[in-house]
Amino acid sequence: MIEFDKFTLKNGLRVIVHRDETTPMAAVNILYNIGAKDENPERTGFAHLFEHLMFGGSVNIPNYDEPLQLVGGDNNAWTNNDITNYYLTVPKANLETAFWLESDRMLSLAFSEKSLEVQRSVVIEEFKQRYFNQPYGDVWLHLRPLAYKEHPYQWPTIGKSIDHIEKVTLEEVKDFFFHHYAPNNAIMVVAGNVDTQQVKELSEKWFAPIERREVPERNLPVEPVQNEFRSKRIDSNVPFDAIYMAFHMGKRMDEDFYIVDLVSDVLSNGQSSRIFQSLVKEKNLFSSIDAYITGEFEPGLFLVTGKLVEGVTMENAEAAIWEELNRIATTKVDAYELQKVKNKVESTLVFSEISYLNKAMTLATHELLGEADDINKEVDKYQKVSVDDILNSSAKLFRKENCSTLYYYSKK
Amino acid sequence: MENLHRNTAPKFKTVDSIEILPSQKHSLSNNIPVHIISGGSQDVVKIEFIFNAGIWHQKKPLIATLTSTMLNEGTNSMTASEIAEKFDFLGAHVGFSASKHDANVTLYSLKKHFSETLTLTADLIKDSIFPEKEFSTILTNKKQQYQIEHQKTNVLAKEKFTQMIYGGNHPYSNTYDISEFDNCKRQDIIDFYKKHYTPSNCLIIIAGKVDDNVLAQVDYLFGEGKWTDQSKSADCKHEIIESKEKSAFVCKNDAVQSTIRIGRKLFTKTHPDYTGMQLLNLILGGYFGSRLMQNIREDKGYTYGINSIIISHLKDGHFTIVTEVGAEVCKAAVQEIFIEIERLREEIVSEEELTLVKNYISGEMLRNLDSPFALSDGLRGNLPFGFDNSYFQKFIKDLKAVTAKKLLDLANEYLKPEDLYLIVSGPKECEEAIVFPK
Repeated sequence: MIEFDKFTLKNGLRVIVHRDETTPMAAVNILYNIGAKDENPERTGFAHLFEHLMFGGSVNIPNYDEPLQLVGGDNNAWTNNDITNYYLTVPKANLETAFWLESDRMLSLAFSEKSLEVQRSVVIEEFKQRYFNQPYGDVWLHLRPLAYKEHPYQWPTIGKSIDHIEKVTLEEVKDFFFHHYAPNNAIMVVAGNVDTQQVKELSEKWFAPIERREVPERNLPVEPVQNEFRSKRIDSNVPFDAIYMAFHMGKRMDEDFYIVDLVSDVLSNGQSSRIFQSLVKEKNLFSSIDAYITGEFEPGLFLVTGKLVEGVTMENAEAAIWEELNRIATTKVDAYELQKVKNKVESTLVFSEISYLNKAMTLATHELLGEADDINKEVDKYQKVSVDDILNSSAKLFRKENCSTLYYYSKK
Repeated sequence: MENLHRNTAPKFKTVDSIEILPSQKHSLSNNIPVHIISGGSQDVVKIEFIFNAGIWHQKKPLIATLTSTMLNEGTNSMTASEIAEKFDFLGAHVGFSASKHDANVTLYSLKKHFSETLTLTADLIKDSIFPEKEFSTILTNKKQQYQIEHQKTNVLAKEKFTQMIYGGNHPYSNTYDISEFDNCKRQDIIDFYKKHYTPSNCLIIIAGKVDDNVLAQVDYLFGEGKWTDQSKSADCKHEIIESKEKSAFVCKNDAVQSTIRIGRKLFTKTHPDYTGMQLLNLILGGYFGSRLMQNIREDKGYTYGINSIIISHLKDGHFTIVTEVGAEVCKAAVQEIFIEIERLREEIVSEEELTLVKNYISGEMLRNLDSPFALSDGLRGNLPFGFDNSYFQKFIKDLKAVTAKKLLDLANEYLKPEDLYLIVSGPKECEEAIVFPK
């Protein structure tokens, strides 16, 4: 049970406080409700580029990192298709420095040409490092547009291509900031060795003076139902063939999200899971294989990805995966097997609650999705899933016409 | 509210000392040392078994790692899938790793299932049989991983670097040809297991919600005469052979970025200059605000990231700078790295910068040592050197005493360009980046 207090400032900023006395630290996590799905299709990668710019100095504080490091703090941020999340940790005595820094960059950025120029290059190098300088690194650049034809999930957070990032102007940057980085579009969680009264006072002092802003209503295109099997072949300079299968599933807040998450666990969470045991250990078809969900807020994907053992044909590998998917879609899992994955979920949650920073991030996400207190209902939602639920959801998911498959061939 | 001074930083406190949960030392009935760090908010236990069974002790490549990986692949009473099934059902995680000197078996368990999960773990440690079929599957999969890893310029550059400073056959470089996968035999693994996974080679660290029952259980399973005892394995000797060549280029023509590595052999953390060098390393490339990061990423945009680190193995250590950059800026990046090194050797570090890094590193230690699990990792790192976690308090104290003048001396002693190795891995045109300063 994670306990917390919650209040909202007049400008719309939601604040959540979680006290954890076991640490000498405090975490401040600010989630902005803006992700790559909100981008213009001609300027993809923008939300992520913008995240980089948020470290380029704010209106009253020319350097973000230095003053934080001076008080023993550390920070980072990440962007995905749904949100942008900034976090920092400081020794508890220096909590006010965090409020000072974060409120100033919510107030306004410094907006410099130099910062834009440099971060553009940095992000281009990041693009190359993650997507092109790793074997199989470009998979998502192919798989997303295969699975999504209309919805902005068709591009990865880094963007569709490098030239989108090259074209961004400072005007666009400013416009983006004032439309999305608003107190009324953010959730702040303060977790660690803190008390609510102190957080209230600091929030009033530093964040309350920031004015509420116009945030455009989100109006995302709806992905049409996929009616036919899609596939794409890539020939690349990698050592082994690989296969990537994507199935459309529901959104994060759908009732069957928890069911589908457990389906992925039955198939591939842990060494005892089905596809690891059967396809890696018994049949020796794959050197590694995984089934997992993207967990995105809008309708997401269920993925099965594997690297083939040398000498195994793509046809045999694909057929063996389908055999496992058809089995879970037509035959009930045993009650014991279902209980096993539920136990594992429960245990994972207990271990995740050791970290005050992790709790801060999870509270923020739950608050955005509905209500922070949902964090305490997760286990029950998983426990409620039945053997029939697993069968029904699997049958709905694992249909050929709901599948996009990327065949990734080794050129060697 | 109109009195809010946004351009002035709020007052702050520096971390002058850190409070660390102490560890208690016990011994099992057969003298296996047990260190306990008790505390934390969740009802969980982490127990780690540390054996002198790392790469240092192997006679052939791959043996230590494969032995460790295969500990959960079957015992006289359970098959690999039964073992996996039982741990998964209890929501426990058991991990295996072999490092340079040690090999670790780490169990993470909910407190309520500790008795059962520990019993399973005991079976793996004391009674593994390394079945032939599992051996061949794991060997095939590891060989594929090796081939995938060797497509990466950072892996190629790292191998070359450690080969040059320690010698190709030294455990600290641990580089081997792909043909070694075919030379590796199951019997090698069994022999290594019997020789090294014994009570006299074992050390235990327990962290989390630890009570007397936990310790009694550990003693029952590991402290009594049910576990074959053998004499402690003799220490192996390995000679370091540093390369006379100071630079190397590893060609990878289809790479879109090149990896640069610059560094040298240094010393272990028992060396009197270790603390000072940690601080110097931090300033140069050890944190986000470091000079290399500020210059090469934040000013020039040549890279997504650049870091420098000091590695202390048990018997030796090294310092290295590493980054991945676009081919077209590779030469410029190498030059900028040397410029930053020269600055450390010529200009005294300002008091502002010195204060900042000292404060930052104190905060970092507070951050990294705030839970029993993190402290058990710290203890694992300290024990081989004869320290316990009070080392960290001493480290902070020593760190605060380091002066700017001392850093200048250290830079001149340890960062002379002629002592540094320079490795680039990337497309052919990056070979021209290999230029030492005049």
